[in-house]
Amino acid sequence: MNDLLLALTGDPGVTTLLAGNSSGDGSAGILFPFLAGPAVFIAVYLGIYRFYRNTDKRHEFERKTEVSVGNLRSADRRVGSNNRQRSRRMNGSNEDDHLVRVQRIQVR
Amino acid sequence: MSVPPQQPPWQQPSGPTQGPGGPPAPQRQPTPPQGERSPAPPQQAAPPQQPADPQVPTGPPAGGDRVVDTSSSVGDGLHKCPRCGSAEIRYSIPARALECAYCRHHWNEEVAEQKFGLDSSIAELQGHTLASGTADVREDLTTVTLKCQGCGAEVVINIAEQMQSRCHWCRQTLSVNSQIPGGAVPDAVLPFLLTREEAVERISAFVDKRRSFASPRFKREFVPENVMGVYIPYMVVDGNMHAELRGTGEVTTRSYTVRRKVGDNYVTEQYYDADVYQVQRGFDLLVNDLAVESARRFQAEDASQATNNVLNAVQPYDTANAVVYNSSYLTGFTSERRDLNVRDLDQDVEEDFLAIARSKVQPTVANFDRGVRWEQEGVAVRGTRWVSVYVPVWLYSYADSAKGDGSLIHYIAVNGRNGNTMGSVPVSHPLIFALSCVLGTLAAVIGGAIGLAWFLS
Repeated sequence: MNDLLLALTGDPGVTTLLAGNSSGDGSAGILFPFLAGPAVFIAVYLGIYRFYRNTDKRHEFERKTEVSVGNLRSADRRVGSNNRQRSRRMNGSNEDDHLVRVQRIQVR
Repeated sequence: MSVPPQQPPWQQPSGPTQGPGGPPAPQRQPTPPQGERSPAPPQQAAPPQQPADPQVPTGPPAGGDRVVDTSSSVGDGLHKCPRCGSAEIRYSIPARALECAYCRHHWNEEVAEQKFGLDSSIAELQGHTLASGTADVREDLTTVTLKCQGCGAEVVINIAEQMQSRCHWCRQTLSVNSQIPGGAVPDAVLPFLLTREEAVERISAFVDKRRSFASPRFKREFVPENVMGVYIPYMVVDGNMHAELRGTGEVTTRSYTVRRKVGDNYVTEQYYDADVYQVQRGFDLLVNDLAVESARRFQAEDASQATNNVLNAVQPYDTANAVVYNSSYLTGFTSERRDLNVRDLDQDVEEDFLAIARSKVQPTVANFDRGVRWEQEGVAVRGTRWVSVYVPVWLYSYADSAKGDGSLIHYIAVNGRNGNTMGSVPVSHPLIFALSCVLGTLAAVIGGAIGLAWFLS
């Protein structure tokens, strides 16, 4: 059961529920039951399904394969600024999405 | 990365050949690389010629490709105990060695990497180095005729189903050990370390944690003792390459809050200013023992027929300890024939190299706190080395009997080396739906009470 609870708390739906509403308007409280009910329904359903079926499990070869890296060359050049952004993260950041391929270039 | 087609080691470069026990096979193009082992036996799958020194690559350095002969010193037919000469040999998991059924003598084959020089420095790899067990599979080759050295009888074996058979006259065990191009004989085999009883325990424990919402039929039909020991074919790839990544990164220079009026209320909003950088990384990468499935049936990307991701998830395997292939290791287990060639896998492997490159470069862009968007990537593969290996898996499979032949096969797999366990248990959707409704309703009621209190405050 502990594993199940861990799976449930790891679900993004639960954190969405707990985040609540940031507008500070008391009338938004009326929305609480309409948000909380479906959010918990989805989180429980997907959490249990994922815990049983393990459809997301795979060997993370990109992290676990034995690899040696050498001759690292870095070239970072400032090209401008991006001000007054609402998000803490930049648009389209993909440094964590190792399996999603981008435009292929020829390397010699 | 493009790997040329491989010719089976004994394929005649000119004129039709005859498969073991079968009709003449059409001539294959292109011509095999120069310097491969000399052509051999037309009629039977007698063992291919043994080179004087197996560590000397038999393929040509020209063209950047070479073939390392990994054919076993054990020939086809009778494989005898070195002490008493009995052919009753099987692999003993408790002893972790081959065992003679008569004199209880134990022994193991040599570690393949060391015997065939496959552990040489990856940094020195140039071109494609292919162990001979990775030769292209001939789909039409399904039978092999063995001559019993005991009585002279000829025995036909269907290599799609078995690699050993008893002589129907003298009852001695005959084995196929030569690398016939049917995909059934790899370069090396990683024997089981985990016993059947240990596997049953792990599978039972895995399912016990998942009984509450499991499908009722699965709970009724679950018999962990039905677990089977299966050898699954993998290609193990080493790579020497240079990788380049280009993209855009952002660094936060200021964060601040702005309070503004919306209607009758004030809202506070958080804003961020950032510097934008062009980011580029180039580095050399040496990849050791990347394992990829080489049987279509078990490919992790295809989960339409079976939960193949489960098999993928029980990795890694210590393939460096794989021993030279000997069919006696397979006695008492089942094995899946390889049906994917190097050419079928090389694009996937190159993408895996890119994924590894992206993963390894991550610590070097940690200063871009708003993230990095990689836009271009590439690898220049200088050299690769391919070895085919059988890896051991204890496999429990379940298909819903009520859904017939098209039913999804659920696997529960245990890594036969380190005991990693993963599985898929069919769920009871009505039960999950009911629980979700109850908890969702409860959350709605609590949310309503909190919301009402907030509204009234």
